[in-house]
Amino acid sequence: MKTEKENTVKEILSTAHSLRWEIGENVHDSLIESIYNDASRIANTVVRKDEKKSQFNLDRTIDKIVTSRWLGFPLMFFLLAIVFWLTVEGANVPSGLLASLLIDTLHPILKNFAETLHTPWWLSGVLLDGAYLAMAWVVSVMLPPMAIFFPLFTLLEDFGYLPRVAFNMDNLFRKAGAHGKQALTMSMGFGCNAAGVIAARIIDSPRERLIAIITNNFSLCNGRWPTQILVATIFIGSAAPAYLAGVISAAAVVGIAVLGIALSLIVSWWLSKTILKGEASAFSLELPPYRPPRILQTLYTSLIDRTIFVLWRAIIFAVPAGIIIWLVGNIYIGNLSLAEHFVQWSNPFGIFLGLNGVILLAYIIAIPANEIVIPTILMLTVMVIGATDVGAGAGVMFELDSPSEVAKVLHAGGWTLLTGINLMLFSLLHNPCSTTIFTIYKETRSWKWTAVATFLPIVMGFAVCFVTAQLWKLFI
Amino acid sequence: MIEIIFITVITLVIFFFPKIGLFFRWKVLQEKTERILIEDALKHLYDCEDKKVDCTLKSLAGALSLSDEKILHLIAQLETMQLVFTKENTFHLTSEGRSYALRIIRIHRLWERYLADSTGVQEIEWHTQAEKREHQLSIEEAERLAKEMGNPIVDPHGDPIPTVSGEIPKKKGMVLTEVKEKETVQIIHIEDEPKTVYAQLIAQGLHPEMQITIIENSPERIRFEANGEECILAPIFANNISVIPIPEEKIQRTFKTLAAISLGEKAKILGIAKSCRGSQRRRLMDFGITPGTIIEAEFQSAGGDPIAYNVRGALVALRKKQAEQIYIEDELKTEERMSDIVSKKRH
Repeated sequence: MKTEKENTVKEILSTAHSLRWEIGENVHDSLIESIYNDASRIANTVVRKDEKKSQFNLDRTIDKIVTSRWLGFPLMFFLLAIVFWLTVEGANVPSGLLASLLIDTLHPILKNFAETLHTPWWLSGVLLDGAYLAMAWVVSVMLPPMAIFFPLFTLLEDFGYLPRVAFNMDNLFRKAGAHGKQALTMSMGFGCNAAGVIAARIIDSPRERLIAIITNNFSLCNGRWPTQILVATIFIGSAAPAYLAGVISAAAVVGIAVLGIALSLIVSWWLSKTILKGEASAFSLELPPYRPPRILQTLYTSLIDRTIFVLWRAIIFAVPAGIIIWLVGNIYIGNLSLAEHFVQWSNPFGIFLGLNGVILLAYIIAIPANEIVIPTILMLTVMVIGATDVGAGAGVMFELDSPSEVAKVLHAGGWTLLTGINLMLFSLLHNPCSTTIFTIYKETRSWKWTAVATFLPIVMGFAVCFVTAQLWKLFI
Repeated sequence: MIEIIFITVITLVIFFFPKIGLFFRWKVLQEKTERILIEDALKHLYDCEDKKVDCTLKSLAGALSLSDEKILHLIAQLETMQLVFTKENTFHLTSEGRSYALRIIRIHRLWERYLADSTGVQEIEWHTQAEKREHQLSIEEAERLAKEMGNPIVDPHGDPIPTVSGEIPKKKGMVLTEVKEKETVQIIHIEDEPKTVYAQLIAQGLHPEMQITIIENSPERIRFEANGEECILAPIFANNISVIPIPEEKIQRTFKTLAAISLGEKAKILGIAKSCRGSQRRRLMDFGITPGTIIEAEFQSAGGDPIAYNVRGALVALRKKQAEQIYIEDELKTEERMSDIVSKKRH
């Protein structure tokens, strides 16, 4: 009896094994097909469809306009321009208010308070002139534009317009081996690269997502615009005739941003053809129906999810950076501070690249936030040239009220038009800020891709600056 | 001075000349460790058994690109391991040898399947990469891989993947050169070696599960229709393709793809081409692009390429290249057309 049973089991198993080869490769396809068939059969019996579709389909009408050959792109540029304009214009006033509150008012009060407590000068220096100032700077420069840019962007997304942008841009990005949605993560990168990297989650194809993450740094972020505008005004605007100064310096900044877009496409293409060749790739893009945006909910989520989140990360990185900036300005070996030692040592290399030692040091210690590059450069320049009438003391970052004052300091530091141009290029092409680097690691979970995203732009930056400097020497 | 430069250049050439330089030869030798040699030899023996040809010293030396002397040494080693026995100058696998060979083949084919479905590695690279990987993966790793992929049963070339216990179905089908004219058959396997032949075949867009109709079969050439396009192959190439006859009712008559319909037109989906695999295929099916579904081209993007299609009430953007992989029925059936007209009149 028992053996008989065992035999039957064996028989069944062997039949099952042989049947396995018979079902073929298509079993999963047939499974999905039957699930869909069942679902649609059920839906057809229990869901009543409105047979009388209205003749006027609002969604399609909007779609026909926003994706039309002639109107599609102008409309897109127009809307993005409005978003950027609102961000830049709208952020000026609150940024100024925050700066005067946190830096001009609160900082002296804290310093006075520390003095009444007889805090040692180095402690109040590290904490207030270093950590606090760096944090205050990041908050006042970063918070207002992000608090305007992200909600506006989210509103467009919520309305359903952004997927149409991806749809329109896909042809261009496909040629670069990327996904149309990269147009969105790129635009997001103009607000903040860390947010752009997070936004790359919307791309579900592994290869295209990595491309979007690695190239996001080529979008000139919010923290770098002020540097670009300031340097363009001082060096490029002043080299042009006075009545053209404004236009030319603005054109130079836009030119750098456009160069960034072009480079991100070129690098995307290169990545997809070389190191990312083996990654899986699958295109998919859904176009959801248009919806009236939920304004309050959008404001809330974009403030919490994006603004506060990114800001918090930036603060966490800015505080130690502030401490280091103060320390390198105040720790002396022999007659010179650490900063001066480094600047002297790296200056020949900097000059070789058409930059200088101050810029190199500023970009190293200001890795946590691009916002503090200019204050750091000013502080270091004043320290190196030994000027005593400007600035706020060793290791204390500061900003000057007008570009002409900044120009005076920088010219005294030996800056030329070439230094200015190369700083603009280097500001576009250098490693992402530490917040972004950390975000890239969190998103990709791979040291390899994090390293590529970090070092690729800086190598490109060195190369571009070097070539520019050599051409400059040849022709001018 | 000149002599020194001359000698340096010569030395560099001797060492680093691509492929035949000493350095590269040394590297190749390093790669061929003992284990790899044993496994490659077993695979060749299995291949001979499968094709019902004799495995000789010459064939083995050719397949492994080793000298006869080394092969003899290797065979002796395999014999002491009781994996191989010799009979009248031909080599045969013992049952242990066969199951070892099947294990390697299993890993090889699993890895090919993985490369095809879960990476963007080019088709021409699958085999070469799997050749390396088959010696590196442990049995446990291979099982994990199989489980992750849902225990696939065939590799991307259409070859069955041996089971863990070493079962493999009997080879079926015939080679393309044996098919009579006017017959319609289905490709079940494309041999991936030699590489140059395989490259030629995939360049023609041929892949397993494809239907082809023979137009002309002569000793000089084989002319056939595949996916509505005419292909010509020399018999030596056609010999690398295995096919099976398909029943009359399963023959796909039309090869019109979604890319052929213009905006505002509707079509009924027949299926997705086999060359669309892995996550891309899953994505399309997730959208509800399954046989029998009605799909409508709604509008195109400002850039021209992706077109928005209406699938089951949702808007899905498909690139031209994807649309070319979705087969549709040539004409909507009359009743569907009628109902379409009626619903339009109602508006």
